[in-house]
Amino acid sequence: MSEKAGDVDLTGAKLNTGVWLVKVPKYLSHQWAKATGRGEVGKLRISKYVSFTLNEELTAIEGIEDKTVSAPREHPLTMQTVGGQTLAVFTETSSDKIALEGVVVQRADCRPAVSENYMKLKRLQIEESTKPIRLSQQLAKAVTNNYKPVANHAYNMEYERKKKEEGKRARADKQQVLDMLFSAFEKHQYYNIKDLVDITKQPVIYLKEILRDIGIYNVKGTHKNTWELKPEYRHYQGEEKVDE
Amino acid sequence: MASLGSSSSSGTEYIVRVPKNTNKKYNIMAFNAGDKVNCSTWTQARMERDMSARKIYGEEETPEGAAGSEFGKKQREEARRKKFGIVTREFKPEDQPWILKVNGKAGKRFKGLKKGGVTENASYYIFTQCPDGAFEAFPVHGWYNFTPVAKHRTLTAEEAEEEWGRRNKVVNHFSIMLQRRLREQTQGDEEEEESEKSAKKKKGGGRGGDLRIHDMEDDFEMSSDDSDNSLGEDGEGKTKAKSEAGKGKSKKKKKNNDKEALEDSDDGDYEGLEVDYMSDESSSDEEPEKGRPSKGEDIPKGIDEASESEEESEEEKQNEEEAKEEEEEEEGKKTPAQAEKKKKKDSSGESDSSDDSDIEGETASALFMKKRTPPKRGGGRGSAGSSRTGSRPGTPSIDSAATSNTLRAAASKLEQGKRQTQGPGTDSPAAKRLKMDPSGQSPCPSGKSTPQPPSGKSTPSSSDVQLTEEAVRRYLIRKPMTTKDLLKKFQTKRTGLSSEQTVNVLAQILKRLNPERKNVNDKMHFYLTE
Repeated sequence: MSEKAGDVDLTGAKLNTGVWLVKVPKYLSHQWAKATGRGEVGKLRISKYVSFTLNEELTAIEGIEDKTVSAPREHPLTMQTVGGQTLAVFTETSSDKIALEGVVVQRADCRPAVSENYMKLKRLQIEESTKPIRLSQQLAKAVTNNYKPVANHAYNMEYERKKKEEGKRARADKQQVLDMLFSAFEKHQYYNIKDLVDITKQPVIYLKEILRDIGIYNVKGTHKNTWELKPEYRHYQGEEKVDE
Repeated sequence: MASLGSSSSSGTEYIVRVPKNTNKKYNIMAFNAGDKVNCSTWTQARMERDMSARKIYGEEETPEGAAGSEFGKKQREEARRKKFGIVTREFKPEDQPWILKVNGKAGKRFKGLKKGGVTENASYYIFTQCPDGAFEAFPVHGWYNFTPVAKHRTLTAEEAEEEWGRRNKVVNHFSIMLQRRLREQTQGDEEEEESEKSAKKKKGGGRGGDLRIHDMEDDFEMSSDDSDNSLGEDGEGKTKAKSEAGKGKSKKKKKNNDKEALEDSDDGDYEGLEVDYMSDESSSDEEPEKGRPSKGEDIPKGIDEASESEEESEEEKQNEEEAKEEEEEEEGKKTPAQAEKKKKKDSSGESDSSDDSDIEGETASALFMKKRTPPKRGGGRGSAGSSRTGSRPGTPSIDSAATSNTLRAAASKLEQGKRQTQGPGTDSPAAKRLKMDPSGQSPCPSGKSTPQPPSGKSTPSSSDVQLTEEAVRRYLIRKPMTTKDLLKKFQTKRTGLSSEQTVNVLAQILKRLNPERKNVNDKMHFYLTE
């Protein structure tokens, strides 16, 4: 779609739509986020001064035990000029469409009216923020690795158990092994011998013999120490060889 | 739409809404005040993310699955990274800069970088007024600072540093970009032909930082580099490079040598010079000197001769060109010819002048020239000048000839730059033509200049312009030479071959000749005995 390539919808710019850029304190934006219904958050009064009054229902702050603390309601707005700077507003939709909404004509700073309430709120916030991110915590039990075990006991036991359970790898039928190998090589071109042993569950020597038949061992290059199928066995995209 | 409506003192109230369901993310596009951007004048605009950082940040794409992939590669890579503590920053498309193109291809371009920390401590909201009078507030998702992108060519960091080092000497700043453009041109041609070679070494002719593979190439490259790079822009009296349109353009492309600001050399300067007994140098060149190396700056210190001789010839050229300039251009503009001359490195002003002398100048103001040159020549080059004029009895105005010659040469050089294949063609006929004349006229063929110190030409240029086996054989028979010396004989500007071609051909010739080797002063010299 030609439009997807980033055409900007310039209607806002052409209409010279003017908008305000208002800086709002964090707590206030949190409260606004809780607005219900149509999203009404308060009233803006414009006269000689501009101020914003938060709706009653939005003053309750969540997450604080102290119920006496709530968000202040009155917020005078300090108006500032844009200065020479051009601030435009553009929007981006989830479908990557970009539109120019307008140009900022006025900047404002929303401040809470100073009140007891606000001070309490602030104190709480400060307490919150001064808590360090990293904590020192005393451990109940010291972590030590001071022993010099001959073998790590727990690990040793686990290892032995695993070995016993798996048993020695049995040589399966050569054809079966070949099938397994071919299907593995269909997925990836290069394999480490260890991975192949894992996949096929064959003893290494036996597996190596089979691999020597059908594959080659890369010593150098980017895929170091890996096995890959011989070219005549390969059937990858772009190659025109035939499987066995 | 600042404050609306209310004229009443009590003010008006508006409801503020924060819409919840919007799927549009609002962002700020900030322009600098100085750029004077007016969005309403934009007719069309395109904006997209600049994903060029993806290559840097993104890991190399190895094919997943099937051909070319390795089992467990990803995990292994990750484990390796963790082991070494390599922390790679993720490539987040959201944080990538924007590229804004306004008014199509010919319009402005802007780059918008995301400003960090905007949403950390305070939130910005955009208040728009709705038709019903209420305000709607949208949170600002990101802030992007847009700056205009320069469409004109700029210098790279290395080049800028070099120019900075020469800032006290360079007066003509226009030439800096011209020179660069021309260099790119020649480089582009060379690259087409020698793609592998260029793969091995950095594009020839570039200043500094060539990747040296082995010594031979080193030598080859060095000299050709010297010749290519030589020019400096040393301070020059005339700064403006404008002249008439057509001429001006071609000339402009030439490097301008601002030698005039350099001090004149005193008589005693050339006393200790070693003189090469090879007398083929100082032959007429077909092409006038184009580039003068800067005052020994770009040339390794070991090559005193070359730099000295070049300086000399530079200054001579300088004089000629100055004179020519005056008469050709309007007030003191840089000569195209001068620029062209400076382009090529010609160690022998003598041969050059012989060239010029043979070409009868078309300029009417030969007289004018003559008058001017003597005073300039006076300067410390008395000996050089006099000997030169002495050996060429029949040359009325060397400079005037120089002018026309250089003009032609400049034009041909330009063409050569564009069509490398034709380059040698155009040059050699010119070369041959010019060579004929001198040999016809002067008893002492320009080719075999007498190796006299007064002339001060320590390393005269080669007479045989063509890089042939015959020529090389002649040199090697006469005296043992290093590859570097050989290369100097066959300078790219003369033979019309690019530096890489020269290197190649010379290598082939040497292979064929299979000369004897001898180590002199720790340098490998070739020689032939016949």
